[in-house]
Amino acid sequence: MSFSLLFLGVAASIFVGFNIGGSSTGIAWGPAVGAGLIRKTTAAAVMTFFVFLGGWTVGRNVMDTLAGDIITAPITLEAGVAVLAFIGLGILVANVFGVPVPTSMTTVGAIAGLGLATGTLNFQTIGRIVSWWIVTPIVGFWVGAVIGRYFYPELNRRFQVVTSEGPLLAVERGGRIPTIRLGPNTTRREVVSTAVVFVIGCYMAFSAGASNVPNAVAPLVSDGALAPDTAIVLATLAIGFGGFTIARRTMESVGGELSDIPLLAALIVMLTAATITTALSYIGIPISLVMATVMTIVGLGWGRATRPITARQAVRGETDTELSMGALKAEPDTEITRIGEEERAEVQNVGSLFNPHAVAKYLSMWIIGPSMSLALSYGFFLVFPFVGW
Amino acid sequence: MVTRVLVPMDDSAMAERALRYALEVHPDAEITVLHVVGEPSAMMGRAAGLALADDLEEAAEEAAGEVLTRAREIAAEYDVEITTRKAVGHPARVILDRAGDYDAVVMGTHGGSLRDRLLVGNVAQRVFSRSPVPVTVVR
Repeated sequence: MSFSLLFLGVAASIFVGFNIGGSSTGIAWGPAVGAGLIRKTTAAAVMTFFVFLGGWTVGRNVMDTLAGDIITAPITLEAGVAVLAFIGLGILVANVFGVPVPTSMTTVGAIAGLGLATGTLNFQTIGRIVSWWIVTPIVGFWVGAVIGRYFYPELNRRFQVVTSEGPLLAVERGGRIPTIRLGPNTTRREVVSTAVVFVIGCYMAFSAGASNVPNAVAPLVSDGALAPDTAIVLATLAIGFGGFTIARRTMESVGGELSDIPLLAALIVMLTAATITTALSYIGIPISLVMATVMTIVGLGWGRATRPITARQAVRGETDTELSMGALKAEPDTEITRIGEEERAEVQNVGSLFNPHAVAKYLSMWIIGPSMSLALSYGFFLVFPFVGW
Repeated sequence: MVTRVLVPMDDSAMAERALRYALEVHPDAEITVLHVVGEPSAMMGRAAGLALADDLEEAAEEAAGEVLTRAREIAAEYDVEITTRKAVGHPARVILDRAGDYDAVVMGTHGGSLRDRLLVGNVAQRVFSRSPVPVTVVR
């Protein structure tokens, strides 16, 4: 009984990990692959390594929260398998409908449902988690908006990713010791920019590991069905498996979204999102990479789109820019338009790309997703109270 | 008499049917196909991509190109010259903003998947209920 149940649990873990691997590899490496800087297989291999690193180090803090802090009693194996099934179901629904629902939220929702049904929910922990869920999108948006509005054009002027023909580096075997030098058409700038893209991808992969490894296995670790170390390895393998297989597709869908924005912007987004995700994972808050990523994208786009109007007007929703002509046009030769200055006619419509209504609609999915998983899990554990409680 | 017809299109088959219907029913009218780019997408990448583009005009052109080319091809089958317009923003809003300049709007019921419905909403429904001019919804 216990063995077959464990088998079921591991299978569910692998399913969850596999899907996480698909989507997070897409987010972490989509831009680099899209820009032709790295091959998909290489991306998946590097992904697996850094996911492991993230899961093994920072991920343990999240594991502790999910496995032991949300509910006051350990999650039994039976309940763990059911929780994993709900997480898997959430991912399945998200995949089928193509709606991005953060896995961490589904996980917390499912575990909290179990806690509610059995009267073991630790409200203090859940309150702390939910507060961070509210703060995170705001932080992501704010960082994105500030960069998009004040720094992006300048950065864009300075930073350019170039790829030349031929290999990036060449190995010279002439001397006694083989030396590595730049490839035939490689410029210094190319090496630096490729390195930046690569390093940021690794960082993103690390944060994905830290935040997502526990999602796949925490319910099994809680009551000791799996040792934490074994569980982390298991989750890494499952995520890596997803990275090597379905990520080929998600790099075009999920990663494609990131490729819709310029590479520089994608790098800013990734750096911000990975930092937020790693920091929160470090303090044990389960958070999804998707959440920080999307909000930074929205912030960046919004910040850039509202450049033609002043911040006060943007916040108030006044987009009438007729008045701003003239006053600030003192330097006709500057390429970058100053804040509040009028850009070309059509650019004025750009503000409408991020109307609050559309963004609110988007965010509502982040409320519906975890609520649904909470409700389903709560109902399930009410009807089937498991032995041992 | 209906002389100016607005046909908002996305990349769906339903939108193509709407255009064909418009071409058949209003053979003598001046037909304008409008495609709105930068609608909310799974990770808001499309909208952000446009906002961050160096040249919005060019970026919008690129994003709208495929749909508008397809529209012109369909019109060519009917030996009709159509006008094509592109715009950025939220589809329903843009369509409603412009509908007043036309005598009628002809559009498909809905473009796409559940995701589109969740993110973008039912564009046809919003246009239908708020348009200042008569709307034909093709299904």
